[in-house]
This record gives sequence, C-alpha cells and structure tokens, in this order.
Amino acid sequence: MSTDTETRGTLGRLRASPFLADLLTNRLAVVGLTIIFSMAAVAIYARVTYDLGALASSQLGTEVADRSPPGWLGSAAANQQLFGTDAAARDIYKRCLYGAWLALKFGTITVGLSTTVGVGLGIIAAYYGDVTDNVIMRTMDVLLAFPPLLLALALVAIFPRDLGLWRAVVALVLVYTPRFARVVRGAALKVLEDEYVDATVALGATDPRVLIRHILPNTLAPITVQSTLNFGLAIIDLAALSFLGFGAQAGTPSWGLMLSRGVENGLLTGEWWLSFFPGLFLAITVLGFNLLGDGMRDALDPRMREAVD
Amino acid sequence: MNWTQFLFRLIEPVVPPRFVIKRLLLLIPVLFGVASVVFAILHLAPGDPAIIIAGQRASAEQLEQIRVELGLRRPLWEQYLSFLWDAARFDFGQSYSISRGNSVRSVISDRLPITLELAIYGQAAGILLGLPLGIISAVKQDSLTDHVTRIGALTGISVPIFWSGPLLILLFSTYLDVFPTSGRIASTLFLPDTWTLFGRELPLTGMITVDTILLGNTEAFLSAAHHLFLPAVVIGVYSTALISRMMRSSMLEVIRQDYIRTARAKGQGAKITLMKHGFRNALIPVVTVIGIQFGTLLGGAVLTETVFGINGMGLTIVTAIGVSDYPVVQGTVLTFALLFTLVNLFVDVTYSYLDPRIQQ
Repeated sequence: MSTDTETRGTLGRLRASPFLADLLTNRLAVVGLTIIFSMAAVAIYARVTYDLGALASSQLGTEVADRSPPGWLGSAAANQQLFGTDAAARDIYKRCLYGAWLALKFGTITVGLSTTVGVGLGIIAAYYGDVTDNVIMRTMDVLLAFPPLLLALALVAIFPRDLGLWRAVVALVLVYTPRFARVVRGAALKVLEDEYVDATVALGATDPRVLIRHILPNTLAPITVQSTLNFGLAIIDLAALSFLGFGAQAGTPSWGLMLSRGVENGLLTGEWWLSFFPGLFLAITVLGFNLLGDGMRDALDPRMREAVD
Repeated sequence: MNWTQFLFRLIEPVVPPRFVIKRLLLLIPVLFGVASVVFAILHLAPGDPAIIIAGQRASAEQLEQIRVELGLRRPLWEQYLSFLWDAARFDFGQSYSISRGNSVRSVISDRLPITLELAIYGQAAGILLGLPLGIISAVKQDSLTDHVTRIGALTGISVPIFWSGPLLILLFSTYLDVFPTSGRIASTLFLPDTWTLFGRELPLTGMITVDTILLGNTEAFLSAAHHLFLPAVVIGVYSTALISRMMRSSMLEVIRQDYIRTARAKGQGAKITLMKHGFRNALIPVVTVIGIQFGTLLGGAVLTETVFGINGMGLTIVTAIGVSDYPVVQGTVLTFALLFTLVNLFVDVTYSYLDPRIQQ
C-alpha cells in the first residue's frame, strides 16, 4: 500500500467519523475551539513579543502613570494604555496577553501530567486487579476524600516559595490524578471483558503490549472528554492558588495574581480595570474549554443525538 | 413468629440497614488514610515549629525546650501514633500564631459555623434554582429557553468566584453603595455569647442569621442578612449553574425511557408523568453530584471568604498556611475532609433510599 492511499484512507476515516462530524456540527463546540485557538495565538504572540522581565518589574518612576484608567475612557490625556495600568504602572493589556501564555503553558503541563499518571494507574489497576487494584484505588479514595482546593492548599505548603507556579502544578496533579484513574479504570474494566483481549493474551502478547496497544486506545474517548473539562478546571485552580498567594511569585503577570492585586488595591477605590481585565481573560479561556468539553461529551453520547419529540 | 423474631421486628426501623453499617465501616480506613496524609504533609513542610512559636530571637535552650514540649524529639513513629490518637479525639493542641494560646478545637468551633452558614445558603439557592432550571431546559430541549439556560449555566461554571465577587463588590458596594464590602454584621452591633430559653442560658450557634433570630434582634438580623447577601449570591450562582447542568442531562436521559412512554400511552398527563416518573428518577444521579460538588463548594467558600473578608474556616486555613501555624492547618484540613466525607456518606444513604436497587 502506498503512502498516498494511506493518507486518503486516514482522511476518509476522519470524514466518516461520526464523532468529528458531530463535534463540528455542534455550534457551541466550534465556538469553544475558536476561543481556544485564538487564546493560543495570543499566548504565542505575547511570548514572542514581550519580555517577561519588563512585564514583571515595577515601572514606577517612569513617564507612565500608575493606576491610570483605560485610555479609551478619554479622561487622562497622557496615557494610551488600552486596559490602563496597575499600581506599579505596568501595562495591564500586555500583562493580560502574557497571562494567556502562562495559563495555557501551566494548564497543559498540569493536565498532561495528571492524565498520564492517572491513565497509567487506572489501566494497571484494572488489568492486574486484586492487590494491585486495591492498593492503587484505596490510595486514590483517600486523596478523593479531601475537598479538591483544600488538598491543593495543604500540599502547596510543603514546597518552598521560590518554586512559584510549579508548586501549584505538583499539588494540582496530585488532586486531579485520582479522577483520571477512576474514569480510566472503569473504562478499562469494560474493555477487558471483550474477547479480543483474551485472544491477544492467548497469542502470547506481553503485558505492556496488551495494555498499550489494545486497552489504552479503547479508553481514549472518556479520557479525552475528562481532560478537556479538566483543562478549564486546572486553569481556574492555578489562578485560584495564585490569587490566594500560593502560586505565581510576586510580579509574575499571571491572571490569578493580577486579580489578587486588583482586589487589594482597587476594590474600595473603584479602580475596576485592575481586576476586570485579567478576570475576563480567565473566564473566556475557561469557557472555551468547557464549551469544547461539553460538545465532545454530546458527540460521544449517541443518546443525546436524537431530539425528543 | 417466635419471640426473637418479634423483638427484631420491633427494633427493625431503628437499626440502620446493613449497607449503611458497611458504608460506615469503610469510612474507617479512608479517614485513617486522610489523617496519615495530613501528618505526612505537615512533617514535610519546611520551617521549624519552635522558631515559629518563639520567634527568631529566641535562645537555643528556649528553642530546644519548646521542641521537647511539642514532642518533636521523639521518634517519628511515636509522633505519628500520638498524632493519630490526637486526631481521633479531635485534639490538635494550641495554635502557634493566628490565635495564639487558644486550642485549635476552639478556633474550629468558632469558625466552622461561619463557613457552614455560607455554604448552606449557597447550596440551598443552587438547589432551589438549579433543579427547576434544569428540568425546564430538558423538557424544552433545543428551544430558546434551553439555549439561554445552557449557555448561562456554562458561563456560571466558567466565571471564577474570585472574579465575580470583586465585580459585585465594585458595582454594588463601591459604586452603588447598597451592600457592605466586607464583614458579617454592622460594627456598631454587638451580640451576646448566650441566649435564653425558658430562663435557661444556652450557647449560640455561631451562625449569625440563626443567632440573631434566636435573640429576637430584628435589627441585627437584617444587618447580618445584608452582609451575607453578596457572598451567598456568588456561591449560589456557581452552585445553580452546576446543578442545572446535571439536572438537564439526567432528565434528558430519563424522559427517553420506556416507562415514560408507557405512562403517557396509558393516557397520563404530560405534567404528571414528568413529575411523578421523570423527576424522581432523574434526581438520583443529581443527588450524587450535589454531594461531590459539596467539596467544590467548600473550596468556593475559601475563595469567597478571602474576597469578602469573612473570618471563617476558609480564611483561617489560608492565613494559617501563610504563617506556618501547623496545628491549625492540620485541624482545619482534617475537619474539611471529615465534613466532605460525611456529606458523601449521607448522599450515598439518600441515594439508596431513592433507588432501592443500590442496596443489594
């Protein structure tokens, strides 16, 4: 078979896939995808264009006024900043754009790590069963017995402050992993009932081969939905930890930290732009992931396809 | 029927069913694990408790004496066992710094009611609004109402509490000046520690809206409700969004079932079928979600308390971690985990009442 027919085969299969077709006809999912791609573009633009050091350090003493409202409000003639400036005279517009890079970068790492570890543990628990299953799943039960944000808060306390957002990442991976392990274990147990798994084992396949080639691909659907919905949650939780003072280090243009400064400096004085813009970026990004996740779940669930009469 | 059977019949309604007992027994290893995790976390945490208590300028002898008093010089396994014993008796010693000299237990009993009050109002609003919204959305699937509700709910779960809170404060407190920015009651009002019922002095609950009613103080009640309104709205919106989403998808699944068609074919009215057969069955998975979501709600309370400056468990835990007040961190984290676990136990029991098949 030539490469040419192979590509066409793949494309043809993609077109015929009811999942993708459903996903792309789902208007909300398309809106979600658009938001995510735009945010990613913004993130890359900010990462390439702006210098993190300049965004993080105070601009007090320069020509730029501190706490000046957005330029289009027209009141202050001197400033031209689209979103205004913060208490250290930093440009909120640039900081918000750079925040997209931080949110997506650390969000991806958090979700990626928890998916990998959770999927691994879930599949191993389902396949080996017995003691292995019990040890893994009971440990997961203990982690699930904590309210999520509180476990993350307690875990963050272990790590030194200068790790910044990384300590939030590690804490959240420990919080999310059990959820993935549970979903994957359930899906894998269903796959294990199928005869082809017995057939592969009878043919002499090794454990890793059965796990990776035969069980993993068949649990991908629920994993993808869970990861997408978890992405929105991870971005909120990372921001929440920064907001509470246990994430990004002072000065970092992370949305959570900007919000916390906005609450500290602008709430009573009515300087709304300090907290409005970072929160808006955060909410839109999370909405994008939630829209996509919802669309994926509907596309995967055939029961939701037909409308009720 | 012999007499033992007769006796058993008599006590049957009082004895919890076997599965409840089983569920309770399963709690023991989980709580043991939870306590071990908390012990591990705080022993890995940096910082010397002796320095936290005595300060940087304390002499070496003073520090050593504090370490011995705290039991930090004992072998690790001994410390672990004594921690488990303390945890079982809910005794975490004294606070290092945030409420110096007071027992952690008293800190928790002061502040837990504050957080519970907030969580209960938020959750109640979520259930009262979320269930009907979800049902309407499902019954009128793909109508304008459904689209508006769905997008509203999606927005509701996407907007972080630490953004909606500040925006509400800016609008209603700073600009319009119709709600207070923080606190629980007007600073001019003072509440006594006890209230009187039939001439007996009784302790107050710590939930301010309840206490002011018990005291019969209308002015204080109105002030407390006024202060609690915005924080409760912030949590309530989030909770409404979550519950209406669950109720919608659960209801959509149920109304496609054969028994709904059968009931309709028998000539039963649409509304009666929906409420009698649809709602009750659709509620089953939603009850579980309400339980699981309670954990998220507690996290939401932490953020809400921080935004609105309410000195409940949430703000306590954030402050305690910030200043390494480890006994308070241990106590509050364990209390939250215990509360969350008990709510889920309660939910499981309710679940089996709604769906008797689960009991087998």
